[in-house]
Amino acid sequence: MDSSDIGAGDRMIRAQALTKTFGDKVAVDAIDFTVRPGRVTGFLGPNGAGKSTTMRMILGLDAPTAGSVTVNGHRHQTSPAPLRSVGALLDAHAFHPGRSARDHLRWLAASNGIPATRVGEVLELVGLESVARQRAGRYSLGMGQRLGIAAALIGDPPVVILDEPVNGLDPEGIRWVRALARRLADEGRTVFISSHLMSEMAMMADHLIVIGRGQILADMSTEDFIAAHATSYVRVKSPARTAVAELLTRSGLDVEGVGDALHVQGLDASAIGDLLHHDSLPLHELTLVRSSLEDAFMRLTADSVEYRSKVGAVTAGAAA
Amino acid sequence: MSTATQTVAVGSEQAVHRQGFGDVLSAEWIKLRSVRATWWTLAALVGLGAGLTVVVCWGNADWLASPEADESPGAFLTWGMMIAQITAVVLGVLAVTSEYGTGMVRATFAAVPRRGRVLAAKSLLVASLLFVVGTLTALIGYFGGNYFLDREGIGMALEGDVLRAMYGSGLFMAGLGLLSIAIGTLLRHTAAAITITIGLCFVVSNMVALIPGAIGLFLERVMPGSAGTVIATPVSFNPNLLDAWPSFAIFAAEIAVLMTLAAVALRRRDA
Repeated sequence: MDSSDIGAGDRMIRAQALTKTFGDKVAVDAIDFTVRPGRVTGFLGPNGAGKSTTMRMILGLDAPTAGSVTVNGHRHQTSPAPLRSVGALLDAHAFHPGRSARDHLRWLAASNGIPATRVGEVLELVGLESVARQRAGRYSLGMGQRLGIAAALIGDPPVVILDEPVNGLDPEGIRWVRALARRLADEGRTVFISSHLMSEMAMMADHLIVIGRGQILADMSTEDFIAAHATSYVRVKSPARTAVAELLTRSGLDVEGVGDALHVQGLDASAIGDLLHHDSLPLHELTLVRSSLEDAFMRLTADSVEYRSKVGAVTAGAAA
Repeated sequence: MSTATQTVAVGSEQAVHRQGFGDVLSAEWIKLRSVRATWWTLAALVGLGAGLTVVVCWGNADWLASPEADESPGAFLTWGMMIAQITAVVLGVLAVTSEYGTGMVRATFAAVPRRGRVLAAKSLLVASLLFVVGTLTALIGYFGGNYFLDREGIGMALEGDVLRAMYGSGLFMAGLGLLSIAIGTLLRHTAAAITITIGLCFVVSNMVALIPGAIGLFLERVMPGSAGTVIATPVSFNPNLLDAWPSFAIFAAEIAVLMTLAAVALRRRDA
């Protein structure tokens, strides 16, 4: 390679059949995904789903058991200019408590031949200039996150990875991270952010990769994900339950009886009300119910648990 | 962010700095300088190494000059270094394990994915620092201690074995620092690494002398705590040990073996 291809990486994260096992436990199960530039990609999954392990493999900290992952066109282990290629926040307290923020950023800069002037720039960017000479051990969790983000950006990298960046941040800090992620993506960078909070990701990410039990459950735009998973229905209660159900079914609507209520999909509440009124059927309740994204996410990952245990049983049978 | 936008554009067109060993070395030097533990341990090295030598020479000068003395004054001129070696162990171990204790090691290896370079840079810096400070400490101890020996007419000139013991003290401290880095890398835990290294150098190295016969003598000569010290003393307290340079060669070989194991473990294990 000559030096020209250092800056001209593909700006993507590409995982192919990426697998990590710890003893018998499969933490990451042969996953394939591509994280693209110019947008914020959310990496969403419950705790223990394999998010952090995947991120550690991207950065060459954990070696994959099988498969591979490249970032900006390289396996990170062979990157000619690691921090200029990818910057990461992995752990809010990945610094020595006795060292100042400024010194922490100074050694990071030096390790990749980044001019020391960049230290002041990233300190300003994350708003830590005034406390930059304090020992980092005295920082709050939020200040630690800001230092971690400064460290991730020190090499001005085309790929930025943030593991649970809003943990421990106050609402102002969360807004700040959201705006920063947006700006980084708008600058054409690849932004890969993990979270176990669906609602947070829905606000921050353009694209979602959902992982559960080490497998990819969804890889689609946030918009499509919401359309596919955040269902809404109208709850209808009527003393003439059977007649109402017949009428709505006959009108081509999707009707499900739940307790003494009917859950109706396919028409909005006012239209359903009009329909019942037309047939003079009594109506006691008519409510639009939106199931939250969080619910959709829980359903999705809960399904993966069932699916996984079936697969496990089949595999065990085949092995025996 | 205007600066960021600007540099991204630049990054894709211009040649970017390629990471080299010099970068890693300067990063590790900033790390070493920017924690207080480094300066405390080096101050303790000078204080214990030079201070105890002076005190011991002052307290023993008249006995050493008397007819009933059965030790050479040369055995006392670097006496403090035998205690100061603890500080070299602490410095070497902390250079590695403080990163594991805080999780900072992941930032280090993300910034320098070729992990062997990190180990090499830490080793070079800690060994150089300990060599210089160790030699200076021995010299301060010599000038202070020899003042009292001179008063009794048994002073030793700064030449031959005495001179060798000065830079030999530096070599011993540097070697201990490397041994500690290797053990710290293998164990990744501060307390465990310090305990085992000090136990190996102080306790086990002395206890094997109790084993009778040829095996006992062999072990006594090759244990790092014994083999390493000979070069740091003008006249050894222990007549069983080999000469200075053969002993040091054994010590160096042991360091090389442990360092190789450490380098292999570092590359293979997940950080």
